[in-house]
Amino acid sequence: MTTTLIPLDDQEVVTAPAVDSRDQVVRGRGKRWTALAVTLFLGIYVVWTLVPFYIMFTTAFKADSSSFTLPAEGDWGGALRKLLIFEPTTENFTALFTQADFGRYMRNSVLAALGSAIISVVFGTTAAYAISRGRFKGRSDLYFWIISTRMAPVVAVTVPLYAIFKNLGLLGTVPGLILAYTVFNLPFSIWILKGFFDSVPYDIEEAYMVDGHSRFQALRKILPLVVPGLAAVVVLCVLLAWNDFIFAAVMGGETAKTLPVATQGLKSASGIEWGQIMAAGMVTVAPMLLLGIVIRKYMVQGLTMGAVKQ
Amino acid sequence: MTKGSHVPPGGGTGVTPVAAARPNKRPPNRFLLPLLLPAVLLLALLSIYPLGWLIYMSFNAVGLAPGAPNDYVGGDNWARLIRDPQYWDSWLILAKYSAVCMILEVGLGTVLAVLLNKAKNEKLLITILLMPMMMAPVVAGMLWQYLYNGTFGWYYWVLRSLGLLDGGTILGSPELALWAIVAVDVWEWTPLVALIVLSGLKLVPQDQMEASWMDGAGPVRSFFQVALPSIKSSLLIAILLRFMDNIRIIDHFIALTGGGPANSTKLLPLYLYEQSFSFFELGYGSSIALTLLLVTILLGKLVVASFEEKEPSRRTKAEEPLT
Repeated sequence: MTTTLIPLDDQEVVTAPAVDSRDQVVRGRGKRWTALAVTLFLGIYVVWTLVPFYIMFTTAFKADSSSFTLPAEGDWGGALRKLLIFEPTTENFTALFTQADFGRYMRNSVLAALGSAIISVVFGTTAAYAISRGRFKGRSDLYFWIISTRMAPVVAVTVPLYAIFKNLGLLGTVPGLILAYTVFNLPFSIWILKGFFDSVPYDIEEAYMVDGHSRFQALRKILPLVVPGLAAVVVLCVLLAWNDFIFAAVMGGETAKTLPVATQGLKSASGIEWGQIMAAGMVTVAPMLLLGIVIRKYMVQGLTMGAVKQ
Repeated sequence: MTKGSHVPPGGGTGVTPVAAARPNKRPPNRFLLPLLLPAVLLLALLSIYPLGWLIYMSFNAVGLAPGAPNDYVGGDNWARLIRDPQYWDSWLILAKYSAVCMILEVGLGTVLAVLLNKAKNEKLLITILLMPMMMAPVVAGMLWQYLYNGTFGWYYWVLRSLGLLDGGTILGSPELALWAIVAVDVWEWTPLVALIVLSGLKLVPQDQMEASWMDGAGPVRSFFQVALPSIKSSLLIAILLRFMDNIRIIDHFIALTGGGPANSTKLLPLYLYEQSFSFFELGYGSSIALTLLLVTILLGKLVVASFEEKEPSRRTKAEEPLT
């Protein structure tokens, strides 16, 4: 039979008004209550998810100190008014790009994220293809080693990389950050792409190679079939690098400061300027939110490490 | 990767009986080496070489100034590790934190998944649920620090107004701070669990569910009897991924408490971070890092095994719903 994703109880409610028999009426009423409870639960969950975003968004446009004060405890009406009505100003954002150097931090973030995404997707594609197609001794050990690299604790990796990068003069440079992000992005890319290559039948390449083309050309030939995987990988690599804090804080220093580090840095300045911090948070988060909404499908797949295929 | 795909050593060419039995014949391996090598070398450079360094450093007092020599100290760092009460406390905090996060996220995530599976506007809801996951964890930490703030924080205000909070601030209390960070983790990552479980639920054969309903089993009993066995592997994957991220990512802690108050939120990776990059005890930090790595690798084994377990079921049962 075809898969019905339409909820079962909805169908029953529609098709069977259930007026005749008494227990069906009770059942129908029970269903209505269930539906109400479900809507309520989902509604509350959505509110719980979105309220922090709303407060971040509005606070970013508040600069006047009186708009920060809270109403008296228990004054719910006053709280609602305070949350909804205020004088918005872009002062905080202007300050970020004039007093602080957020233009530069943003450039660092973009370069580090794109750089590591590109390296990871290029080397990841060839390696994933080889692991997917090859049958050699130690293949599963190799694969496990690659995956376990992705799972290593960020701080544990940072300790030796810091020492090594110090010797190589890579501390405080964007190329250093790109390399550091590749530690996690490359294995991730191999993991996801291997799954995609596994689902491509070998016959296509075989026919192509029989025609006298090389293996590398054959790989290029089937590349269009794994484009969704490539897209997922690029997006997720960018996300991971963009949102990283530890690597950038330890190894980026002042010269290769990225947006999350700069945002956190606003805190240590004399007195906490919450308006500015929330504005910086917006600058950091907004591009990724946009990315997430536009390519939701790949996001889901990547965030679940390929456990969810849509 | 399916378990059946392992070919005995040497059986790599396309004409061996094993390979011939498979639907896909395999190419000779030698052409694959140039494709594999760049990534493997790069990764070795970025993981095995540092691992060597880590082991080396754990037997040294690491010099800080550029070019400063390292002093070989034998097993001193390791002896210190065993005697350090904070080290063991930090393990305990990590375990406590992970356990509570897991129970809440898996419970709430499963309920969400079941409801999402039946919701009409599933796509919109998933988009909303994805939003917290897009946020840089350190920014999420700062946002929640603001919400918890004793002077400006809205969540602080709500808790006070509801009479749920006596004196003092949330993050200033050694009893509350850890749970406050749990809330942030639940906020940001419960949707991830929900999405993984949802993918498992999509594979539950609908006719089996219907049959169970026809037999008069209620939704709760149907869930436990029919759906739960099918989503078991999804749940396992979700739990392992979340547990590993709790060890991997400490940005929430850095932003919200930095380990305080009174070390009540100093879980092991944060203790490692502090030893290494606040006190620059890189040698001692390396010992801690190695123990953390060991646990992660064992966990990783479990994750990979559970992924492999999930694959075959996906191929057989999934075909219908996914097309």
